Amino acid sequence: MSVNVLVPPLSQTMDTLVIVEWLKKIGDPVTKGETLFTVETDKATLEVESPATGILSSVLAGAGDEVKVRSIIGIIAEPGEAFEEALTSVDNSLNENYPPGAPPSTDRQQTINVAGPKGEPLPPERINRLFASPRARQLAQLKGIPLVELRGSGTGPRQLIVERDVNAYIERQKSRPRVTPVARRMAEMTGVDLSKVAPAKPGTAITKADVETSLHEGSGAPASAQSSFQAIRLTPTRKTIARRMHESHQITAPVTYMREVDATRLVKLRERILEKLSEDAIRPTYTDFLVYITCRVLSKHPALNAYFDGETVELHDAVHMALAVDTARGLMAPVIRDADSKGVEELARIRGDLIDRTLKGTVTPNELAGGTFTITNLGALGIDHFTPILNPPQVAILGIGRIREIPAVHKGKIRIRSVMGLSLTCDHRVIDGAPAARFLLDICNLIESPDLVWL
Amino acid sequence: MAKMTIAEALRQAIREEMQRDERVFCIGEDIGIEGGFGGAFTVTLGLSQEFGHERILDTPISETAIAGVAIGSAIGGMRPIADVQYSDFLFCMMDQLVNQAAKLRYMSGGTLSVPMVMRAPVGATARGSQHAQSPEAFFTHVPGLKIVAPATAYDAKGLLKSAVRDDNPVLVFEHKLLYGSKGARSEKGSLSPIGEVPEEEYLVPIGEGVIRRPGKDVTIVATLLMLYRALSAAESLSNQGIEAEVIDPRTLVPLDKELILGSVRKTGRLLIVEEDNLTNGWGAEIAAIVADEAFMWLDAPIKRVAAPDVPPPFAPVLEREYVPSEQKIIDAVLSIF
Amino acid sequence: MGMYRTMFLIRRFEETVNELYLEGRIPSTLHLYIGQEAVATGVCANLRPGDYVLSTHRPHGHSLAKGVAPRAIMAELFGKASGCSKGKGGSMHVGDIEKGVLPAIAIVGANVPIAAGLALAAKMQKSGGVTVCFFGEGASNEGAWHEGINAAAIWGLPVIYVCENNLYAASTPFSKAFKIQHVAERACAYEIAGATVDGNDVLAVFNRAKEAVERAREGGGPTLIECMTYRQCGHSRSDPRTYRTHEEEDEWKLLDPIPRFRQWLMDEGKAEAAQLSNVEQEVEQTIQDAIAFAAASPEPDPQDVYTDIFKE
Repeated sequence: MSVNVLVPPLSQTMDTLVIVEWLKKIGDPVTKGETLFTVETDKATLEVESPATGILSSVLAGAGDEVKVRSIIGIIAEPGEAFEEALTSVDNSLNENYPPGAPPSTDRQQTINVAGPKGEPLPPERINRLFASPRARQLAQLKGIPLVELRGSGTGPRQLIVERDVNAYIERQKSRPRVTPVARRMAEMTGVDLSKVAPAKPGTAITKADVETSLHEGSGAPASAQSSFQAIRLTPTRKTIARRMHESHQITAPVTYMREVDATRLVKLRERILEKLSEDAIRPTYTDFLVYITCRVLSKHPALNAYFDGETVELHDAVHMALAVDTARGLMAPVIRDADSKGVEELARIRGDLIDRTLKGTVTPNELAGGTFTITNLGALGIDHFTPILNPPQVAILGIGRIREIPAVHKGKIRIRSVMGLSLTCDHRVIDGAPAARFLLDICNLIESPDLVWL
Repeated sequence: MAKMTIAEALRQAIREEMQRDERVFCIGEDIGIEGGFGGAFTVTLGLSQEFGHERILDTPISETAIAGVAIGSAIGGMRPIADVQYSDFLFCMMDQLVNQAAKLRYMSGGTLSVPMVMRAPVGATARGSQHAQSPEAFFTHVPGLKIVAPATAYDAKGLLKSAVRDDNPVLVFEHKLLYGSKGARSEKGSLSPIGEVPEEEYLVPIGEGVIRRPGKDVTIVATLLMLYRALSAAESLSNQGIEAEVIDPRTLVPLDKELILGSVRKTGRLLIVEEDNLTNGWGAEIAAIVADEAFMWLDAPIKRVAAPDVPPPFAPVLEREYVPSEQKIIDAVLSIF
Repeated sequence: MGMYRTMFLIRRFEETVNELYLEGRIPSTLHLYIGQEAVATGVCANLRPGDYVLSTHRPHGHSLAKGVAPRAIMAELFGKASGCSKGKGGSMHVGDIEKGVLPAIAIVGANVPIAAGLALAAKMQKSGGVTVCFFGEGASNEGAWHEGINAAAIWGLPVIYVCENNLYAASTPFSKAFKIQHVAERACAYEIAGATVDGNDVLAVFNRAKEAVERAREGGGPTLIECMTYRQCGHSRSDPRTYRTHEEEDEWKLLDPIPRFRQWLMDEGKAEAAQLSNVEQEVEQTIQDAIAFAAASPEPDPQDVYTDIFKE
């Protein structure tokens, strides 16, 4: 018995996924549990395991294709099973046309009787449906063809949609030249009729250049839109980020509080710790120290470790610290769970692993959710102060700027001190200026005098 | 290899089994009479000379006694090959077959068995309603009976031998127009297929069907005379671009279900051809099995071509309309394309 | 003495299962043999282990007389897996092929040609065995009866056809179904030996059966023995017997074969009251043992429905 490979529902928010890569090809043996292919969700790239052991006998969507969740994208045949697709392939069907010269039977001309047991008409929802043979339905589902695309094309007995109708549809799709996404976008924007565009070489796809050519030849293109540009489609991840950023600004009332703090003692503390560490130990960063400090301060300012959904404020007992990470796919925020119960060394270790996997794209959706407070550090990129965006339903986010050595007044004298910029954004719907400032003050006190952490 | 008619093949099977096992004997009307026919269709011709009248036992016209004695002697340790002259007469021994032979093993909790064979010729041959039926369906419905229907000389010999060696009651349906009986007993309009039959010992297993003609567009299931009509129809259909897969089940009980299901999975279309009346024929059972177990593979409704629900008529023109013709088979196939 | 025990066993068995039936412990109706014990006993006393017995819908007496274990029959009546037919036969199909008793055949008359078949097998195998076929007088109007007896006659088969003429076929009296006076008269229609005996006189039955069995073993062909007897109980358990008169029943009670034989044994000095009592007690014990066995036995596994249909 062959087993269908389904696209798993990996994202809470999306009902399509993009296939990134197949790790096996047709004919390869696969083992249940082995990674078969990878998909991209809005949050991460994930591996999908094979549901069975056997031979991969059919692949219905390839790298780069966007597929519906729970659709069939492959088939695994039992080892030893005849190695062919479970249903007849397109080649087989070409002979199944209605035989020429044979008289049409009366059966073909009949329409389908839609009366109930006493001859009464059946309700519309019962009869307003497509009549297709089970075999045709199975093939259509396998190929991802919505049956509604076959409406009116039934050539079987009593105008049933049958297998050859599905195969004919597939053939028709195949004989249309493919269009690259870029070319399609360009055609949409410029109003070019793709059915009038030919690919540069027969059998290849229509590219942006082909669309441009047809534009310049004036074949059906309007006179405007002359400057060239490159259209880029958003990835699912980027789309999600765009949406969430916009929502954040629409929903919350963000106010950012900025100040500088003398971090000289913290810098020295860190240097001392680094000296004592072994060669292969994890080196705590300023972010790690700030996480530690923020957790301590949050315990005195529980209002900032909270969720607000517009109605209710949820004060959270534990601090799950989200860290903003800039990845190639876009901004991600993996979460250190129960950060308030961990020491700096452990925080550093967890942070290192999380960020590493986030950058690689192997972090799991669970690890990207559930944060109660966010820290974002743009210091390494030279930013002193900025206005970090809130991550609803969180009510606060702390931005860390760079540490500069500048002359500053210290104990009445001009000294070179290490000064760090901090930017705290709070949701003014539930956190007013003074409480926010008090929180920031407590953070800064601990940065200035790390010894006070003992209290 | 020898070339034989079906009657000869059956005779050879009986001869070999009787030589091999002294418990085997034949019982029926007119089967051993000196100077007689050797049974209505010559199958037992000459056997009483070879084996004597004790082992080729002629009976009065007593179908109930033929069946009852077969049953009793089988329980008592013999292996009888009984026969009726026309399958229509099976109804005269219905109680013995259905209430006794089929049930005795079960009622005994499996402590006894009834290893008997009952042979019966079927098919319409211008003799009128009471000598023309194909009543297999009456018996395929009875738990406890095995039913075979050999359509070739090879299968006739192999299946009859298997039936004799089977420890259960086996009904063997033969077709009057396929015997190939010669001389005074030859049948008008008969097909008389001559087949190659190996000289050495072989058996055809009960419960195994065979694909007579492979194809990919429609599965046709047919037995006995209808098998040959289906094969002719398949040739005509091939000229129209339709390749039919013709299956001869050879055994109706136990049915080779997997062969038929596998074929329908391949072709998506099923037609059953039987010489029996349409309603509640054995074809209906196969249609139900396929609708249940291969539903997802069907590309068209399941069709049956059978005799109309009337007794077999006499006049040749009426009989031709009654018995499914090659054209009716072709039309049925085209209607599901 | 053996015959007394057998008759007493049959009588007490039947009376006991009647009680069990009334208590609701037996799932089906019963066709009891009460009053006819002498027939089964007298005939079967002449048989050897290799001989066959075919019976009817009223089979308990025949089975017991041929030596089928009371436990096995009782368990079968209870519908248990340890019954003689594994619970698949029931009251009307008890038997034990090991003891030569086929599962009883409840289609009236259908056992007649089958008996001829068993006799044919014995003749062909030269085993010297005989077959006894029991049936009621009503069976002799079935086509199968005539076909079977004719076949036995023309082939000279070693079979004894025993007609238990208890005067009623269910509720139909003899006179309504026959123009002749005795079933045995039909023997001459087939040129076989025939006789009528007092079915309630176990010795008469025994002697007549002995003759027939010897005839059969010596190749003399079939015999038809008609035993005049009376079914003291109803046809089945749902028969109120309103088609008979109390007078008639009382008359026949006086001819009850068991007290008759008991008396005869004592009168002829063949047995003493004490011996007979011992036998009776032993029989009661056997029956109680059979009930206990049946009650304690497990029911068949529902999956057993699917087994024993074909021999593989």
